[in-house]
Amino acid sequence: MTWWSVVRFLHVLGAALWVGGQLTVSLVVLPLARRLLDPERRAGVLSAVGRRFGLFTVAAFLPVQLATGFAIAVHKGVTWASLAEPGYGRVLAAKLLLFCLVMAAAGLHGLAIGRGLARTARALAVASLVGSVGIILLAAALPAT
Amino acid sequence: MPPVEVKIGQKGTAEPPRQFRASWHLRANAVVVAWLALSAVVVLAQPQLPAPRWLVVHVFLLGAVSSAILIWSEHFAAALLRVPTPDQRWSMARLGGLNAGAVAVLAGLAVGPWQAAAAGAAAVVAVVVWHAVALARMVRRALPGRFGHVIGWYAAAAGALAVGGTLGGLMAADVWHGAGHERLHAAHAQVNLLGWVALTVLGTLFTLWPTVLRTRMSDRTRRCSRLALRLTVPGLAVAVTGLLLGQRWVAVAGLAGYAAGVAVAVVPLADAARRRRPHTGAAWTVAAGAAWFAVVLAADVARVASGPAAEPSTALDPLLPLLLAGFAGQVLLGSLMHLLPAVLGGGPVRFKEHAALLERGWPYRLAAANLGVPLLALPVPEPLALLGWALVLGALAAFVVLALAALWRARHPAGGRGAHPGPAAAGAVLGCLLTAAAVAVAMSGTSAPAQVDVRPGARQTVEVTLSGMRIRPAVITAARRTVLTLRVTNADAQRHDLRLATGEQTPLLGRGQTAVLTLAPLGEAVDGWCTVAGHRAAGMTMRIEPSAPAAAAPAGQGHAGHQTAAAPSAQGHAGHQAAATPPASGQGTAPLDVMAPMSPGWKPYDPVLPPAPSGTEHRVEIRAKETDMEVAPGVRQRVWTFGGTVPGPVLRGKVGDVFVVTFVNDGTMGHGIDFHAGALAPDQPMRTIQPGERLTYRFRAERAGAWLYHCSTMPMSQHIANGMYGAVVIDPPGLPAVDREFVLVQGEVYLGQPDDPARAARIRESRPDGWAFNGTAAGYDHAPIKVKTGERARVWVVAAGPGTGTAFHVVGGQFDTVYKEGAYLLRRGHPGGGKDGSGGGKDGPGGSQVLDLAPAQGGFVELVFPEAGHYPFVDHAMPRAEAGAHGVFEVSAP
Repeated sequence: MTWWSVVRFLHVLGAALWVGGQLTVSLVVLPLARRLLDPERRAGVLSAVGRRFGLFTVAAFLPVQLATGFAIAVHKGVTWASLAEPGYGRVLAAKLLLFCLVMAAAGLHGLAIGRGLARTARALAVASLVGSVGIILLAAALPAT
Repeated sequence: MPPVEVKIGQKGTAEPPRQFRASWHLRANAVVVAWLALSAVVVLAQPQLPAPRWLVVHVFLLGAVSSAILIWSEHFAAALLRVPTPDQRWSMARLGGLNAGAVAVLAGLAVGPWQAAAAGAAAVVAVVVWHAVALARMVRRALPGRFGHVIGWYAAAAGALAVGGTLGGLMAADVWHGAGHERLHAAHAQVNLLGWVALTVLGTLFTLWPTVLRTRMSDRTRRCSRLALRLTVPGLAVAVTGLLLGQRWVAVAGLAGYAAGVAVAVVPLADAARRRRPHTGAAWTVAAGAAWFAVVLAADVARVASGPAAEPSTALDPLLPLLLAGFAGQVLLGSLMHLLPAVLGGGPVRFKEHAALLERGWPYRLAAANLGVPLLALPVPEPLALLGWALVLGALAAFVVLALAALWRARHPAGGRGAHPGPAAAGAVLGCLLTAAAVAVAMSGTSAPAQVDVRPGARQTVEVTLSGMRIRPAVITAARRTVLTLRVTNADAQRHDLRLATGEQTPLLGRGQTAVLTLAPLGEAVDGWCTVAGHRAAGMTMRIEPSAPAAAAPAGQGHAGHQTAAAPSAQGHAGHQAAATPPASGQGTAPLDVMAPMSPGWKPYDPVLPPAPSGTEHRVEIRAKETDMEVAPGVRQRVWTFGGTVPGPVLRGKVGDVFVVTFVNDGTMGHGIDFHAGALAPDQPMRTIQPGERLTYRFRAERAGAWLYHCSTMPMSQHIANGMYGAVVIDPPGLPAVDREFVLVQGEVYLGQPDDPARAARIRESRPDGWAFNGTAAGYDHAPIKVKTGERARVWVVAAGPGTGTAFHVVGGQFDTVYKEGAYLLRRGHPGGGKDGSGGGKDGPGGSQVLDLAPAQGGFVELVFPEAGHYPFVDHAMPRAEAGAHGVFEVSAP
């Protein structure tokens, strides 16, 4: 157990909260809200949930993930050039690319909510969730060294 | 009246089909779409697959295209003849049979056994013949109509596949070798593509093309169709016959007749296009496909006419992308764009929706596909070819997605929300696509790193990949005393292994096989390499290095720890290069490691010589075969053999015996055979015969001796050096019986594959890499020959060369009898048996230490081992002994 274990722990914990949070909202909160709440209250509850999750994303998740991820990469000796190399570098590059795409989808989801495009927002939310699971897949594929 | 989804020559497509018809066609077309998707997957996975090009071609043509032809030709036949469709169960049975056959062919040829592929080909042929019979039955039931002529095309196409599938089955069974195989290949490709695929397409286009254009048929259709069929079918038959017989100009004439028929068939199609210009995606796609067919046909005729006569099979090869993607793919896609909405049913409104969905973005898809197709066929640089694949596959994938969406929509008619899939589904698809793209990026390139730094620790496992003449990682650094476990995987199409200087070695690994090596605690640097001949020189080397102590510093130091860890890795690369240089520069001339272990499963050539069989006439069959053999410890390479062994089978008889040898050439090049034991005119029996041919070689052994036989085809040095030699032992009259008789044929070992020019040059200059008794350098060091003390052993020795003889000697032994080239030099118990009469005598003082033989000479020696022990036998030209002309008699007490 070193400080690097703690850094890695924070990185994994952040990912778990982000993916788990989305899964919980999609699979638990949303169906129950549809079944139990009338449309008016449902809209209020869901938008509150969305705002809180967005706040968590921007205020806690992104800073922690970026900081810990950057630190781990530097610790492992990752350079810009090494990101292009097949193997570890390229898997990491793909993971970063997918992370950016997922963050873009999540951001667009917020925008779509704001403009009242409910269907687009829903599609973007699911895309973000599936992409996040893809990030976990790539993380698992990073050779453990 | 049966339900007709496709109205021939009429506008409008209303009339909802009966439900079961729609669902049967839905299911059937799902099979086609699935094969299309699999084709895209196979193309993407190409570098990782064995026989990639072959697999792509057959997944697409035998899977997608053949299934579509089976479904649609039956459907059209029923619609055109206005008869009820055949029993749906039988149609499904045929489709199932075709798919089972296709899977068997793909599996049988990709992973074996070949019997599965041949059985699959037989199943495909049977299904298609059955299909033709079903069509013929429909014709018989139908009233005379305007469209009966189309069925003739379908029947002809089915006949073509019956021929082509049979040829394919014969190829799978490998009945002909060499040039015969090439001719089969050529005929197989041409008859299947120009027959099964193209004839079906042409026949269908007569009615489908006007429908796609939404115009009426040309009045000339029937006349042109009948004439065209009469030209194409005989033309194709002549072309295939010409290709099978290797008669280039016959093939060209046949292809020209076929092309003339195609030109006739185009006339009514052009009429229709003049009447109504193509205006839909389906029409343009089909038209583009037809245009590519014209291009392919012209290029095919030109290539068969002008190409080298020896290789007509390559005529279609470079045209395959045009034919597959340009012609077959686009005609299939265009037809599906037009037909799927009708099949999906659901009324006029749904029909329009489906059609609009399938035609979505068609100009872009059409442009992408037709820009991409020529890039696949032309010799453009790699990035452009990749772009071509991306364009073609992108267009294909877009259609597959649209078709799946249409199928999904037809199955789940949405209520009030229109036909759009839900936002959740759209989001899931988007997320999956993003993930797939990221995974594709992650997996691109060779995935194994060039270097692995192993963290300090007692036990570590490192993945090692063998592929592309490289071992990855090339350098592994680990702390001293680390117990490393290497999981070695061969990702290459050809076989490799990994041997470490410390002696650990994996077996020879086939593609995808994995072996685990556990090493001793790491001390000094260890080199590793692939022992397959030539691979080490080509760069298949690796190195395991102890890391500098600093690398094992506590991990908490961050940057500092990283930098110290990086330093030894730089040294590691330098060390690796230095280590790799000597074998690379001294390619093939590096001394053989004769004491390396033999591969598991290696069996020595049985040195025991049985007594001559009774009878005075000996009939044997000897087949020339090219095979892989272990010529030195751990070195397997291609050898040319008589009967699959080096040396070939030993023949033995008495003076006056007749040998009738049937010599069969199962190889891929010309071979011959020359028996020194018989005296005859060489002209006929020693002639070179081509692969697949045989000859009978009859000789009477008039004189005793240990005779060589060898391949008589020039250059003989190459054929003999590659293993084509053996011995004939003719007993001298009165040869006394002994306790043990052995035969040792000494030959030379040249490392590398027979087609390597540098190796051929070494053979010409007589610079062998090693020597071998009975085919394997130092083989009998690893499998000693067992004898007991007091036993009399007779060792027959023949020097096969091609460039060097032998000085046969048994360390610790003395010969009391020496027979060389038909005469005793020394004879136990026969006073005066020696040359000058001084060497004989039962207990005479004379002895012999070496039997010297020039290349192609033979003889025997006899000795009795005085006490138990290990008696090496060698070619006493010591450099040759040390390079493999070495073995051991293991003598035990009686």
